[in-house]
Amino acid sequence: MAYLIGIPLLAILAILQSVIFNDLTLFDGRPDLILLAVVAWGINGRSREAMIWGLFGGLFLDQLSGLPLGTTAIILIVIAYLVSFTEGRFWEANFLMPMGVMILFSLLYYLFTLIILWLLGKPLDLSLALVRIILPSTFLNLILALPASQLIKSLSRLVFPPEVNI
Amino acid sequence: MSRIKTRTLLAATLILIAAGILLLSQGGMLDPAQDLILRPISSVQTWVAMRYAAIRDLLKSPSDLAELRAQNAELELEIAQLQQEIISLQEQVAESQILSALLNYARSEPENRYLAANIIGKDTSPFIRSVWMDRGSDVGIKQGMPVVTERGLVGRVAEVFATSARVQLITDPEIIVNVRLQNSRSDGALAPQLSGEIWVDLIDQDIDVSPGELVLTSGLGGIYPADIPVGEVISVRKRDYELFQQVVIQPSVDVDDLEIVLIITNFRPLTTEANP
Repeated sequence: MAYLIGIPLLAILAILQSVIFNDLTLFDGRPDLILLAVVAWGINGRSREAMIWGLFGGLFLDQLSGLPLGTTAIILIVIAYLVSFTEGRFWEANFLMPMGVMILFSLLYYLFTLIILWLLGKPLDLSLALVRIILPSTFLNLILALPASQLIKSLSRLVFPPEVNI
Repeated sequence: MSRIKTRTLLAATLILIAAGILLLSQGGMLDPAQDLILRPISSVQTWVAMRYAAIRDLLKSPSDLAELRAQNAELELEIAQLQQEIISLQEQVAESQILSALLNYARSEPENRYLAANIIGKDTSPFIRSVWMDRGSDVGIKQGMPVVTERGLVGRVAEVFATSARVQLITDPEIIVNVRLQNSRSDGALAPQLSGEIWVDLIDQDIDVSPGELVLTSGLGGIYPADIPVGEVISVRKRDYELFQQVVIQPSVDVDDLEIVLIITNFRPLTTEANP
């Protein structure tokens, strides 16, 4: 069920990213809708599904990008895998937790992206990338972390209603 | 098996799948599948892009909104209907203005054959400077075809699918464009910077270049037709100890605000290793 809803949702998010959210920039940074969805689904206790969301979400993003198909998918699977280690920690109940997790994983997402771009031989300027893309994008992701987490939590409750003992 | 082990195994399997997809796609073996997936995606993308452009245009004209707000309550329903009509008409007017400008440009260059396309999205990676258009191999678009507007060069077709194509912009640091300075007739090469500035490099030190001079494609290398405007010189960087001077240009086309572009379909670019 999570895939039945997740895969079309990720396709729509990739389209919205390409058409609308790439226009809403802070310097050259923009919110990463699919990263937000994958991380939010992961911290919601559904890490295995989040990894599969990472695969499909990454493929949709790559399909609408000049990056080779599969590169962002690998990055998002790794991110979803790392997110799974936040499960069951004492600070999990803190409502600000999604923000902290989002800062960490936004930075990691861009670090992995830079490594892939370097491996592909693309021209890079680290300081420029940090100031114009990575930090502004991380900030925008941070702002959207709480609403994204709440939306995903609601979606999760809708798809998987809590079991009731009778 | 512990939960961590299961998760690790799943992550490793998924990474292997993604790596397999990466290898297959690099070999071009996934092109038919990508076409199949991109067909519905580009249709939805076009639909969303059209609506988004209409809303954006409406928001950019606050006087109309203020005027509409001032209407009395009895007319609200009618206003809502009229407003919808206005959005649609404004969009049509804006579109026809662009198309009329493009048509004038096409008429002024009768030797070229053009195909118009809507820009339906930007690259999802902030590190890649390209846009997507709603025309692909179904209507004869081929890799390498030059893309222009009535103002000048936009870039070249970098990737083609059945119903959409990716355009590498002139702001992409990896693009290769040979240019000529209009007055001094000196050749150079476009050198877009990661900062977003666009330089023209490899200009002879002896040449006098002044701000305001027009930069055109030279046609050298056979990648672009000659004499398409690329930009205007805004400053000159000349150092005695360097072999060449550089100029910074203001591009003729605002590539961040593209709506409709023209693809020159009868130009066959020469392919090289650097320009596949």
